[in-house]
Amino acid sequence: MAAWVKGGATDADAAVEAAATLLAAARTPIVAGLCAELSAVRAAYHLADAIGASVDPLAGTSLYAELGSMSRTGGMLTTPAETTGRADAVLIVGNAPWDRPIVGEIAESAPTRGRAAGAERTLLSLGGPGNGATRHVAYPAEAGGLAVSVAHLRAYLKGHLAGETAYGDLAKRLAAAQYGVVLYDAAELGELGVEMLQGMVKDLNEVTRFFALPVSDPFQGRALLQLAAWTTGQAPRVGFGRHVPEHDPWRFDSARQIAAGEADAALWLASLPAPRPDWLGTLPAIAIVGEGSPEATGDAAEIVIAVGVPGESAGGALWNDRRATVTYAPPTGPSAELTAAGVLGAIQDRLVEMKAASC
Amino acid sequence: MSTLTLRQEPPERLDFLHVTPLSLSGLSETEAAKLPVGTSRRGLTLGDCFTIVLDGSEDLVIEGGSSRLDRVGASLDGGSIRVVGDVGQRLGAGMRNGTVTVTGSAGPFAGSGATGGTITIEGDAGDHAGGAVYAAKAGLDGATLIIKGAAGDHLGDRMRRGLILVGAAGAHAGSRMIAGTIAATSVGDHPGFGMRRGTILTGGVGALSPSFVETGTHDLVFLRLLARSLRPLSPAHADLAAGALTRYSGDLATLGKGELWVSAA
Repeated sequence: MAAWVKGGATDADAAVEAAATLLAAARTPIVAGLCAELSAVRAAYHLADAIGASVDPLAGTSLYAELGSMSRTGGMLTTPAETTGRADAVLIVGNAPWDRPIVGEIAESAPTRGRAAGAERTLLSLGGPGNGATRHVAYPAEAGGLAVSVAHLRAYLKGHLAGETAYGDLAKRLAAAQYGVVLYDAAELGELGVEMLQGMVKDLNEVTRFFALPVSDPFQGRALLQLAAWTTGQAPRVGFGRHVPEHDPWRFDSARQIAAGEADAALWLASLPAPRPDWLGTLPAIAIVGEGSPEATGDAAEIVIAVGVPGESAGGALWNDRRATVTYAPPTGPSAELTAAGVLGAIQDRLVEMKAASC
Repeated sequence: MSTLTLRQEPPERLDFLHVTPLSLSGLSETEAAKLPVGTSRRGLTLGDCFTIVLDGSEDLVIEGGSSRLDRVGASLDGGSIRVVGDVGQRLGAGMRNGTVTVTGSAGPFAGSGATGGTITIEGDAGDHAGGAVYAAKAGLDGATLIIKGAAGDHLGDRMRRGLILVGAAGAHAGSRMIAGTIAATSVGDHPGFGMRRGTILTGGVGALSPSFVETGTHDLVFLRLLARSLRPLSPAHADLAAGALTRYSGDLATLGKGELWVSAA
């Protein structure tokens, strides 16, 4: 079964009709999640424009931790390939990056090109797990958290603090690198921490070559960010209520909007696996979710439509972490009956028909 | 004195950027009622939400506030606005001159980018009061922001000039501060995180960042001048500046020319 309306199984056409009716009556609808292939995200932006909705991706927290710093101070970034090929010192900040495959690739390789070619690679950790299978030198985080730890380390690097301390030792190791990289997760570090870290990288470039490598969020945020930029000229959290895309990360935070009672309808788009938001059952909502996911049931939302999962039962353009770009993922199994982009397009077409009929 | 009286809680967020004494001064009440203030496709106008009485004066009173009134007094360049009730985000953002007074509480980003004038919040302020909005170079930039209640986190984030007077402030007060002065009866954890220059004066502090170092107690002329300038605005804050203080220097992770004065009592 691919669609449900108010708990009852139905066909896709009836679900599309119900979704269009719900959205047409809404004053301030929101389109959230957007953990999906790019064609679906693009269709979601177009639908939001048509109905005057605001848009907030699931990856928003991670994206804005990075963008907030980037928009004011810029950044010095590198790619996974450059890191494995050139870096002789890699500092991993926090716990989150340790779950990513790139840590294993970095640990198992050595620099083969550039000024550090042939040198040994040193893996350093600040506030990480401190043990495990990967050999590294661990430095504990400050009680105040990762951002405070980075600030403390940077004070040693600038020469404003001195002494035979753990952070003093780490600062010497970083400054002695020929090509250093710091790996971090923006959502874990937070905006203040990211800005402090980028400042530290710039300071290190006074004496050597050093770059930052943020790991991508797991909810297609990097791909969505590019689409948002070429579609609206803005970062992702925009509202179309006044016919032009207005960017306001605070006003269009979907969780805040719903908690404040400002949103009266929601469309949740997650054709890829994504945690179900707490608010999904609390207001009239449409859930467009991957078939076979836990949310593909009649009780997840007022209207539920199950669609193909990109890379499994549908093709789609997705973020490729290894290549740090958007690539096409073909379906690996039989194609699903519905695609997310097709469903969103059908809802928008039905809204146009309803508007024309009312004139 | 012109008056706008809110009839009921607005059904959506309203944008008051273009509702100032100056913009209303040349309009009749009928014309003012057509000013767009809604933020949804419904196209709400001022007259849909407010009863309007105009007399062309430089003083505007908004009777009956709401946390959904955004950008009240934003870009104000003279005159006064008094809100009897609450307001939403960006109160007085970018204002250049005049006074804005709110008898209730304000949402986030109050006074962001304000270069002149005085903003008074008699209740509490949300996060980022006097702080920079997304992608902005500076928060408060020369205006005076007085918060008689408490402020949220990130008070004066990336503040560049001006004065903030506040009761209790949350964590990260004065973060990434470029310059200016914050006086608070207390601040939360890690004040001045990443600050380059500027002064934070406080009666009590939470956890200090290790990139701040104590530089002792001092009897400086500057502190007496600060106390004198604060006294007309708040005797309690002036007494704080006139009392015994311990000085911390930071943030040593950046330029390190900021200072945190904490009451030694």
